Amino acid sequence: MKVKKLTEMALLTAAALIIFVIELQIPYPFPIPGIKPGFANIITVYAVYHYRAHEVALIAAVRILLGAVFTGNFMALIYSAAGTLLCLVAMIPLKKLIDEKHIWMTSVIGAVLHNTGQMIAALILMQTPQLLVYYPFLIVSGCIAGAFTGLSAQFITKRLKASFGKGSSRD
Amino acid sequence: MKYKIIGGIIAAVFLIGVIGTILVITAQPKNTVRIVSDGEVLYTIDLGTAKDDTLVIEKDGHHNTVEIKDRMIRVSEADCPDQTCVKMGWLSSSSMPIVCLPHGLVIEFTDETGDVDALTR
Repeated sequence: MKVKKLTEMALLTAAALIIFVIELQIPYPFPIPGIKPGFANIITVYAVYHYRAHEVALIAAVRILLGAVFTGNFMALIYSAAGTLLCLVAMIPLKKLIDEKHIWMTSVIGAVLHNTGQMIAALILMQTPQLLVYYPFLIVSGCIAGAFTGLSAQFITKRLKASFGKGSSRD
Repeated sequence: MKYKIIGGIIAAVFLIGVIGTILVITAQPKNTVRIVSDGEVLYTIDLGTAKDDTLVIEKDGHHNTVEIKDRMIRVSEADCPDQTCVKMGWLSSSSMPIVCLPHGLVIEFTDETGDVDALTR
């Protein structure tokens, strides 16, 4: 791994962590477990389109792990790990089907699957099938949050091209 | 063309979500409530006859304080990090339980009659 690439990935991870920690301070009007915008996934979606699969997985894994360390919420670690796993498994192959102008579509699918992963983790951990009633909320919030995250990723793609330089992010 | 198909799938999923959400929100409350911790039913309470009360449910050194007042039930205080259970307020929909994910606590409406447990409590 080249130093430049390592630095880029570290920068992206740091940016994702900052977004993640700040996001936790925003109060939400929806008192439903698992519903939040997930702005940190702007970075994940961006990374899916500009880095290789294992590099994206690394960025996401470090962010989730350090996010849990910074917030002290290790139950959330299990949920976000389950969600991110399912989300990446879908988004990484999808980038071949959906081009960079339609990142928001990949992002919506990723977000809905992210919430599906969380739902499955919660069902396994809590053994309470009644939790499924939250699933419709999670689908709706996943679609909205995913579209927003994806559009943001589309916008930062243009900006980051200027700072990261052409070609360097692909080798 | 493929973007129309993908867009259509996304729109369909979104619509299903919206319809499901409306169904969940509009479900009527019932009389009997049960408090479940990690799949184990701790209390079954008939709200129609229950007196105002405060229950402290402890698990692994953490606690949720459950308040029963005016035939309604809520989590009034908890030491979980996200406080979602507290923010959910009074239990109002029969298909949307109050959940504290960190402590594995669920408060929900149920069809069972709560007489037996309410007496033994």
